[in-house]
Amino acid sequence: MTVTERPTGVAILGAAHLGHVWAYSRALTESPNARVVGVHDPEREHTRWIHQDFGVPPADDVEALLASPEVDAVLVCSANADHRADVELAASFGKHVLCEKPIATTLEDAHAMVAACADAGVQLHLAFVSRFLPLVGRARAAVRDGRLGELVGLVGGNRGRPPLPPSYPAWITDPVAAGGGALIDHSVHVTDVMRHVSGLEVAEVSAEAAALLWDCGVDDVALVSLRFDNGAVGSVDPSWSVPADHPWDYDFFLRLLGTEGSLDISDGAEAVQVVSTREGAPRGLRQAPFGEDADRAMIEAFLASVRTGVVQEPCATGEDGVRALEVALAGYRSAATGRAVGLG
Amino acid sequence: VTGELTVGLLGAGMIAGVHAHAYRESPGVRLVAVADPVPGKAERLAEQYGARVVADLDALLALGVDVVDICTPPTAHADATVAALGAGRHVLCEKPITRTLAEARRVLAAAQTATGLLSIGQAARYGPDHRAARDLVTAGEIGQVRMLTHSTTTSLPGWSEAGWLADPATSGGPLLDQAVHSFDYAGWVIGSPAVRVHCMAADSGAGPATYTLTTVRYDNGAIAHVECSWAHPASRGFKLQCEIAGTAGRIAWSYDQLMGGVLHARDGGTEWWDVLGDREFTHELRDFFDAVRAGGPAPVPATEATESLRTALAALESARTGRTIDLTAWEAPS
Repeated sequence: MTVTERPTGVAILGAAHLGHVWAYSRALTESPNARVVGVHDPEREHTRWIHQDFGVPPADDVEALLASPEVDAVLVCSANADHRADVELAASFGKHVLCEKPIATTLEDAHAMVAACADAGVQLHLAFVSRFLPLVGRARAAVRDGRLGELVGLVGGNRGRPPLPPSYPAWITDPVAAGGGALIDHSVHVTDVMRHVSGLEVAEVSAEAAALLWDCGVDDVALVSLRFDNGAVGSVDPSWSVPADHPWDYDFFLRLLGTEGSLDISDGAEAVQVVSTREGAPRGLRQAPFGEDADRAMIEAFLASVRTGVVQEPCATGEDGVRALEVALAGYRSAATGRAVGLG
Repeated sequence: VTGELTVGLLGAGMIAGVHAHAYRESPGVRLVAVADPVPGKAERLAEQYGARVVADLDALLALGVDVVDICTPPTAHADATVAALGAGRHVLCEKPITRTLAEARRVLAAAQTATGLLSIGQAARYGPDHRAARDLVTAGEIGQVRMLTHSTTTSLPGWSEAGWLADPATSGGPLLDQAVHSFDYAGWVIGSPAVRVHCMAADSGAGPATYTLTTVRYDNGAIAHVECSWAHPASRGFKLQCEIAGTAGRIAWSYDQLMGGVLHARDGGTEWWDVLGDREFTHELRDFFDAVRAGGPAPVPATEATESLRTALAALESARTGRTIDLTAWEAPS
């Protein structure tokens, strides 16, 4: 028997994460396995670029969009504090969900989202795109194969440019809408990769975080130290510490130490160096990456999960989102009190 | 003063050998004698550099050397420094300044009344890479420094006599032996007192607390993070990475990029040529001898080296207790 399956229908709920929703929309609209049915965002301006560049149709009536039998799954890219309402809404219509990170700004919201999706019998995925970096996959295999022995130390970073207007919407540096600054924005990626690669859980968190560089009202420099449940220690640099005209805008690195070996990975290896004097080009030396598009890999794995009804490797779930948020929030507590914070 | 400076070397171990070699780049400086309690050790060094062997510090002082260069394990620093200063000599003492804060206070008191100059071998300040970065900061190229990360990772060094480095009571472990360079450099670049320290450490095959991650907060708000390891595989070599983020720019480098040449032999074997060589030490010693001739000030004051030691000791205490140490109120347990 051959059944021609139609592509998975996807609705986008919330497009406030302008950069991410643009990249995911590109991956979705270029995939033979997906059809983007529409995007709803109360702020129409958020939907402008994905409409213009990829033809995603804006939808004013969110209930009608979500109720459509053409929609199998929902991508939530609203402001962090709005994730809960949007995910709960999608779940109430029985749709699988891929939610932008961090999962939420409070643990109460995060737990409620996980419960809502479980009750509705739908999958909840978290957009931890770093899991889909090929080097991270290789690191995970090396660790799981025992090539590093028992892990002793894990150091990682995801540094970036400050997300300031006009390239970024103002809510990203609003402590309520975003839940904080660099610490919550970037540490969740690194924490998640550390858990994903190591299989360890974080037991204790200590952090420093402050608004030191850009006068943007939230922490832009942070350093989070971790104690894992096997006694290993780790640290995460999530700082928005990359200045203008720097050769790269963002990085991702991980350095692992085990009883039997060490492993250092960095996404900077996948780039050529370029200098362009073309009118309007960025000044000076630039890294032009040639790495595979991890966004596409994540979107395809999400679509396959929806199609098969089984969460595919290496997708991150709502539970993973909760774990990473716990660490970030404990980091803020530690930075405020000057004391280490135990988890679990 | 342009006359010759004579040096007596106390200790004939690894760093003493590096110093003995580096004196040759300091014009008008002559190594005259070496003392080491381990039989045969001083002889090997003295022979190589045309110096004589004497029994101990007293014998060095009796020779009338202008400068005593203290290259012993840290537990022997305080007594030797105080005695040499008391005898009116100039002293260059290896880092950490002492093993304990109580010892450091004795040294500071002696230095206050001494006629000779005391400087501490916080050599990282003299690495051409580190110096260039600090010069850029001082010139205002990256604005005000807000974050500094410094990472040094290696396997357990094998050079110490009878393995004293692996004995925490003597060496203080990687935090006092190696990370003290990072703390000193961070404090020097940031230019503000450290006020808060948290350290998480893990045990490894190299010994207890031989993998360490320390975060330091400074009075001006800046944050430093120091990774320091003796727990890495030997085949990986010694690696250093440093990043400095400021309000107007960023500086970064790593030892991976400081390999200026590589020689591959057809019959196997590879030789990497690092561009730093031993300039760190030749610059350090030259600067010290210049300061001696100029009558001061000390290139690396004992007060600053004591703060670096205090930060390292607080990191040890934090790793042991799990607490964040408030350096504005902290008294190190003696």
